[in-house]
Parts: sequence; structure tokens; C-alpha cells
Amino acid sequence: MKILIADDSRVMRQIVTRTLRQAGFDGHDLVEAADGQEAHDKAQAEKPDLVISDWNMPEMTGIEVLRKLRAAGNDVKFGFVTSECTEEMKSAAESAGSAFFIVKPFTAEQFDEVFSPILG
Amino acid sequence: MSVETVVTQDDLAEMVEQVWASYLDPEGVSPLIPTGDDKQATEVHSTVSITGTWHGHLVYASSMLAARRAAAAFLAMDADEVGAEDISDVLGELANIVGGNVKAMLPAGCFLSLPTVVLAPETASYYPAAERISGLWGQWEGESISISMWQSVKHGEAA
Repeated sequence: MKILIADDSRVMRQIVTRTLRQAGFDGHDLVEAADGQEAHDKAQAEKPDLVISDWNMPEMTGIEVLRKLRAAGNDVKFGFVTSECTEEMKSAAESAGSAFFIVKPFTAEQFDEVFSPILG
Repeated sequence: MSVETVVTQDDLAEMVEQVWASYLDPEGVSPLIPTGDDKQATEVHSTVSITGTWHGHLVYASSMLAARRAAAAFLAMDADEVGAEDISDVLGELANIVGGNVKAMLPAGCFLSLPTVVLAPETASYYPAAERISGLWGQWEGESISISMWQSVKHGEAA
């Protein structure tokens, strides 16, 4: 599968990548985006099977990216890995069509639980 | 409303424990040891601002060596391989993670800024009309680390 990892922190993109590996999800094609606009553009151009996105990013927030993709008819499986977790955010994410919501700091066990049904 | 009634020093300690368990000390062998020394010197810091139903700042500060070690732990590399960009990125992420968790404990309707990183002592930054209301000061492998919360006085009184 092709996975797009969107986070303005290069370190966090690396940690997401490493945690995916630690959770046993090796061998996937990984693409990165460093801000919301790039995430949107790559989600359209690269046609990933899964988008793992930060919430708070320059240019466009993660939720704006998701809404824009859905408005354009892009139905890619999309979810959030973010340090912020409020009920209003979770609710906004669900309404926009988010498939998961992982809060930083996260563990490989949490990744396993969330991504096993998606990545197999 | 004072944020102290919502986010206590114990809450900050719990968030820090989670960060250490996930990224900085997954083996559980070198925790952040609280000292309560709010005068300890720091060399670098990062800040996220929170606005909305509560106004203020969350500041993560440490010695340069602690920041370098944190970056090494985050990136799974040796401390002497870590560059300034790695240190800045990790400092920003640490403030972002703790700030995000703080935000989750505040009344609904808050917004978190992107982090600002300053490779200079904590005292180099000044937060106008804000006062420090709580914090956690400690040592990690003998190096200074602190997490402090600053509340905007004006908005705090109105909240």
C-alpha cells in the first residue's frame, strides 16, 4: 500500500515511519508531506491508499486538507496523528470522514491496534 | 477561571511521563526527576501559545545537552550525529505534544499555535502581560529540563 505521512515536523514524520515499522507494518510505499498544502496536493497526485496526517500544520490544517479532499470527491482513507485531542476536534474529524484519531505521544501498540484492520 | 484548577503540576508530570515512556525513555531507565528548582538555568526553549477560552503559553526549556539527547532519542541516532535542525525540530515537537495535551484539558474552544523554537536561554523570551502559573522543573540524566505554563493576566482575569 502507499501511505502518505503529513506532518510539518520532519522528526515526527520519521517517528511515525519508525513506529509503523515497530508495529510490524513493513514494506509499504511511504510518501511524505511537510505542510497541509503539500499533503493535499500529494493526496491527489500520488493517490495513496492511506493518509496519516498531523492536525496543526502551516498552509492548511489537517482537517482542512481532509474536507478539501472529500469536497473534490477523493475518498482516500484518512486519519489524524496529533498532539491535540478535544471532543470538538474528534467530532469535526469524524464528521469530515476521518477513519482514526491517534494522540501524541503514541506507542507501537496503539499503531498496531489502529492500523491492523487497515493495513492487514 | 484559573487554569491551575484545570491543569495541575501533577497533570504536567503525567504528560511528561507519557512523553518519556513513548520517546525519551522507552526502557524506563532514565526518567525526568523533579527537583522543583525553578531557578535552574536552561540554554534552549520552545513555546506554543494557546488562545480562545484560555490565553497563555506553554514553554519547554532545557540545557543544550538535554535537547541534543532528546533529538537523538527521537531520531534513534547518536547524540554526536544530531544537527541544529534536528534539535530545533524536536524542541518544537516537545512543546507541541505537551501543549496539545494541555489544550485537551482546557475548556472547549482553544486553539494551539505552531511552535516557536529559540536556541537561547528561556530568559531570552518575554511574554507580555503573562505570568507563570505552574511548572515542572527537573533533571534528566543530570541535565536541566522544565515545562512551564504562562497565563495571560488580562485574559485570565476575564476568563
